[in-house]
Amino acid sequence: MNNDRTNVCSTVCTKDWKKIARASGLSIPAAALDRIAQSLDALEADFRPLARALPPDTEPAIVFHAATLTAGEDAE
Amino acid sequence: MTLLEAAAALRRSETSSAELTAAALERIERLNPSTNAMQTVMAEAARERAKQADQELARHEGRGPLHGIPIAVKDLFLTQGVRTTGGSRLFENYVPDHDAAVVELLRAGGAVLIGKTGMHELAYGITSSNPHFGAIRNPWDRDRIPGGSSGGSGAAVAAGMVSMAMGSDTGGSIRIPATFCGVVGLKPTYGRVSRYGAMPLGFSLDHMGPLTRSVRDAGAVLNVIAGYDSRDETSSRRPVENYVPDLEPSLHGLRIGLPENFYFERLDPDVDAAVRAAFQAAESRGAEIVPLRVPDIAAINTVARLILMAEASALLEPHLEHRDRFGADVVALLDQGRLLPATDYINAQRLRRAMQGEFAELWSRVDCLFTPTAPITAPRIGETTVTVGAENEDVRLAATRLVRAINALGLPAVSIPFGADRRGLPIGLQIVGQPFAEALILRVAQALVPEEVPVPPL
Repeated sequence: MNNDRTNVCSTVCTKDWKKIARASGLSIPAAALDRIAQSLDALEADFRPLARALPPDTEPAIVFHAATLTAGEDAE
Repeated sequence: MTLLEAAAALRRSETSSAELTAAALERIERLNPSTNAMQTVMAEAARERAKQADQELARHEGRGPLHGIPIAVKDLFLTQGVRTTGGSRLFENYVPDHDAAVVELLRAGGAVLIGKTGMHELAYGITSSNPHFGAIRNPWDRDRIPGGSSGGSGAAVAAGMVSMAMGSDTGGSIRIPATFCGVVGLKPTYGRVSRYGAMPLGFSLDHMGPLTRSVRDAGAVLNVIAGYDSRDETSSRRPVENYVPDLEPSLHGLRIGLPENFYFERLDPDVDAAVRAAFQAAESRGAEIVPLRVPDIAAINTVARLILMAEASALLEPHLEHRDRFGADVVALLDQGRLLPATDYINAQRLRRAMQGEFAELWSRVDCLFTPTAPITAPRIGETTVTVGAENEDVRLAATRLVRAINALGLPAVSIPFGADRRGLPIGLQIVGQPFAEALILRVAQALVPEEVPVPPL
């Protein structure tokens, strides 16, 4: 998964979770947000570099079947 | 007595289903007050079903090895006419009108459903210290957690209340209680066992599997519950096979991967020593040990955590208007999931695909991997951090560190007891195989643990 895109941005921006919650219309108490902010910051720090390194042609591991499967067809 | 031993005794008419059920109920009555493993006991229904099973067996209408055997299922499997709470106040009065697919199959196989086991609230955690229904206690040391989220299943099997209890595993929830309680816990390949009728937590990560007192029992249960189910979109049509290993299987010709990175970093020294001894045991039985570097498991753990947070919060968000109905740890996780953007969820699923490809390359070099199931043995109830090596670590993150990635990869894995720490608490060995290699990992497990698991001093 390592490619040139890794170097586009090497910093992880700190997010303001209270503002995000407010903008999303989520009714999460301020004290609860204070308690989870550190966990979210840690997840953000771990996840953002991985997401930035994704090759563009990688499709998500989610499958949608346009038609219901019939006997003999395989979902795999 | 293991499930298969009880089944053999039934066939020889040395016992009856009614006797087995009465003994199980007596043991539950005696031990449940101190363990809280069983959330609901279905005594009358079980006695009636046992009576029917004895009549069927007398007519030689046997339905297989589970016929007449008392079992339990985690309280997130829907059971027709029997309360199914998911360990949550949200569902404390929910009585389903149908069975989960797994329950249907177990009943069709003749099993006697004796009760529902307690669990971590909504299967979203690993302590099973349930704020609504009470903490479940580890039979090996009742001041310690049994692990979770299938903690009641682990404790019930370890305490000998039942020889098998079903669990579910979204980030280690079968394997963690298996290691902390010293029993066998099998998480099959994603798609091998139907998820239909099991309360979901993370749609793309949820797996169903048994906790048992022997490896062969886990195979016998998988023989009954594996197979295609059109009601589960992700169910596999791949043919099932016989999953019960021979009594003394050979490991000649098998290549067992010894991870050189990640899995043996930051372990309790007793866990490290026990799991390394498993490699020697496998080698002495003819296996070849292949040291190798595994892909970035920490990265896969991150991806798996993000996917779970997003899926669980999407599922449970409608209930968050009533925050007081959730335990503090669960509502904190649900809040985190609500703050993740959709793009992160999609990108996590893209990363998952890429990581699956990286991991698949391993299987050209080895047949299975050995790892510790958890870096620690069972923590005390109420502990939020543990010291592993020189570092303090969150209990949930420590307990899931070596198992969570396997859910994102959908791989089959079994945890078997392999040794004990200096306090006598069980240590678990995790054996991971390539997709649909359940028969192989159970064969390897059987070669290492051929007998019934040890019984705690109760």
